[in-house]
Amino acid sequence: MPPRLNLFAARTAVPVLRQPSAPSASQRCIASALRRNAAQGTKSGFQSSVGVRVQRRWNSSASDGKTPEEAQRQAESMPHVSEEAAEINKIMHKEGNGTRSSPELEQGTPVSEILQRDEEARKHAPKVFQDQMKNGSSGSGSRFFSTSARRGQLEQQSTGRSEDQASAALVESMISQVTQQAVDLTPGLKFDAPGTLSRSDNFRKRYEPLLEQFTKLLMRDGKLAMAQKNMSIILDHLRSSPPPSINYKRSLLPGPPPPQLPLNPVLYLTLIIDSVAPLIKLRNQKGIVGGGASVQVPAPLPERTRRRTAIRWIIDASDKRRDSKFAQRVAAELVAVAEGRSGVWEKKEHAHKLAVAGRVNVGFKQRTAKFFM
Amino acid sequence: MVSSFCWSCLTRLRQTPRTVLPSPTAVPRGPAFHTSAVRFFPNPMMRKKPGQELGGPKYRQSKSARMKKKKPVDGKARPPPVGERKALRKRIVLSNPNALEVEGMQELTEETMVDSRLRGNVLALPVPMLDQLRAVQAFKPKQGWSIFRRPGTVLRRETLEMGRLFDNISGVGEDKGTAVKKIITGSRKSGKSVHLLQAMAMAFTKKWVVFTVPEAQDLVSATTGYGPLSDENPNLYVQNEATASLLSRTLIANKTILSKLQVSRIHPALSAVQPGMTLENLAKFGVQDPASSWAVFQALWAELTATSATTGLEKNFTPRPPILVTVDGLAHWMRNSEYRTTEFEPIHAHDLVFVRHFLSLLKPGKDESTLPNGGALLYATSTSNNPSIYSFEVALKQVAARHAGVDPSAPEFPKLDPYSNPDSRVLEAFISTKPTSAQEGMLEVQTIGGVSRDEARGFMEYFARSGLLRETVNDEWVGEKWTLAGGGVIGELERLGRRLRVAAA
Repeated sequence: MPPRLNLFAARTAVPVLRQPSAPSASQRCIASALRRNAAQGTKSGFQSSVGVRVQRRWNSSASDGKTPEEAQRQAESMPHVSEEAAEINKIMHKEGNGTRSSPELEQGTPVSEILQRDEEARKHAPKVFQDQMKNGSSGSGSRFFSTSARRGQLEQQSTGRSEDQASAALVESMISQVTQQAVDLTPGLKFDAPGTLSRSDNFRKRYEPLLEQFTKLLMRDGKLAMAQKNMSIILDHLRSSPPPSINYKRSLLPGPPPPQLPLNPVLYLTLIIDSVAPLIKLRNQKGIVGGGASVQVPAPLPERTRRRTAIRWIIDASDKRRDSKFAQRVAAELVAVAEGRSGVWEKKEHAHKLAVAGRVNVGFKQRTAKFFM
Repeated sequence: MVSSFCWSCLTRLRQTPRTVLPSPTAVPRGPAFHTSAVRFFPNPMMRKKPGQELGGPKYRQSKSARMKKKKPVDGKARPPPVGERKALRKRIVLSNPNALEVEGMQELTEETMVDSRLRGNVLALPVPMLDQLRAVQAFKPKQGWSIFRRPGTVLRRETLEMGRLFDNISGVGEDKGTAVKKIITGSRKSGKSVHLLQAMAMAFTKKWVVFTVPEAQDLVSATTGYGPLSDENPNLYVQNEATASLLSRTLIANKTILSKLQVSRIHPALSAVQPGMTLENLAKFGVQDPASSWAVFQALWAELTATSATTGLEKNFTPRPPILVTVDGLAHWMRNSEYRTTEFEPIHAHDLVFVRHFLSLLKPGKDESTLPNGGALLYATSTSNNPSIYSFEVALKQVAARHAGVDPSAPEFPKLDPYSNPDSRVLEAFISTKPTSAQEGMLEVQTIGGVSRDEARGFMEYFARSGLLRETVNDEWVGEKWTLAGGGVIGELERLGRRLRVAAA
């Protein structure tokens, strides 16, 4: 496997090298800086990737009177502006005396608010903020700088100062060197290696989930091939039967107009099933009203169960038909459902009616107190 | 059953004198010292209702949980009417009004069937021809005609070659009037039967006379009547109903051609047939009277293969058109039939005169060509319903070798395994020497394989343009399907085309 190089981390590492504490190190090598950071990481007992810790500070707070440790700590991490203030506060007030700092310091404050009330801060604010304040075009709805940290960093790098450019060029050359090494290590790859697969990319389903569910429910005596044959007869029937005439009282779920349905039989089937699928079922629950009696509490069904119920209803209703073949019976029943003629609609309406009646039982809690003789 | 007394009260009660104990009927319902709600138990003195039984199972009644059995739905007692299921199975639907009309779809005509620029296109079968094709039972139930707006077939390489062949036979060139004899084999779903259908369609286009045997098995499965041919030939058997239906098929499909041709020979076996009557009427005799159908068929065949009239009847003679003969499922004719002799011995299929006639056409004629007016014999094997006959397999290999010019005495000529109990009659049926007539082609074996990628693309585009396939048909996609279809086996391509797309997971 080629050595993995985190470009993002490498780029973020660049500003570290420009810290006044180690100006010469940045000119020499990035590796030494990384090593130094790693050493610091172990010293402070905070283990994480270099890229996380080595971040650039975007605030422009004054660094006057900084102790060497403090400068180093600031170089290590880029805390939020108020986090940093809180930290400073903690140090200054000799933490542990029991007095809490202000909520502003504890929870953080937007930079804009600080700038609004602090004259000094406004004077030393970054150029972008100063430009924005000068223009006063906060109402325009669009900033001319990006709020995305990552993109901002990239832009910053491309539009950076000459010092920035020099270090960027250095890193670029190093990146290209490492990339070249990686390419040399993996000969035979003519083009880029394919990207990583998403989590579900290896789940390859041959059939639509609904089709598969319907086919399995059509299956009798474990004969799946027979069920698949029946399914294809059903789909061909849907494909070649005349488009359904819409019954406005019992119309299908919104979809394409009926003349287009037969050309997309899977969608047609899905609409039929989902239109008569019950949303809820009644669950018998004991111990709500006492006396050992059970009451019926409506409960929502997950999608797959809703479809399962609808398919069962349709297959059961098709048993009463007179067609000689099972697949023909089911197909005819499906078309009857699409046209609102089937008794399956009544089943669904009945289930919903009972569920509405059972709504009064929803609020009850299970009685926990038990009486024993 | 829980007593309404609790244990402590019972112990207390035990101390009281016996006379003080109240009678069980007078026990108050629920002792007063309990705080729980009074529970209503049935009065033990009350008579139980017959159906209502509380307090568990009776003596020697099973105590396990009893589950209700679902009653089977009534109405299954009466099966569907006789023949309904078979009719449904054999039903041929040639149109799906929901499918889109393919714009710019060309029909099969004399020009398009030889146009190599159209290779890979799907050509529609002309609507007037559909009745003829139905009459000769060219369509099979499972060929997937029912999902398209109108039936059409791919113009593949084999089709174009056949078109050119038919064009030459009907034309005016040097190939005019030649007879082509082919046995068509190929893997499963490779399009053998549809190739025969295309041949029939081309023959109808070229105004040939078409004889078909759509299912060779029907003649040997003992489902039609049979009897000895005559007293002179007690070992040959004739199937009158099957012959009558062959005549009827031929009559309906070739009505216009047969009505223009006239009887130009004397047929002593048929007293009712007069010279000068049309061949259509001659065939009608056989259809109306199955007892004479075999004689009528022989007369009709003699008339159609005549090159000239007998003396004195020249005015009734017009040149006869070429003939196309197709047989599907040839292997069924290569073994004993289901028929039995009077001694209950099995009858070999070659002892049925119907079968014998069509097999004899494969051999070269003695003096002149078997089809003197030209034509084609296309006999296809089947792979979905196919008896495994060793002799037939070897015979086909021998035919191929002989056609390739391998000497039968050469060591590379396919030989029979002597221990495999070969059927010599099968081998004999395919031994054909070099034809004496230049007009007669040698028997050959044509193997049909997969279509090319371009043809597959044209076929898949036909699906897409009919609205049945919702995919972007490009070379990559077609290549994938072509490979999945075993290298372009067209039946598998058809399955892939009608298979519904899986939504992205």
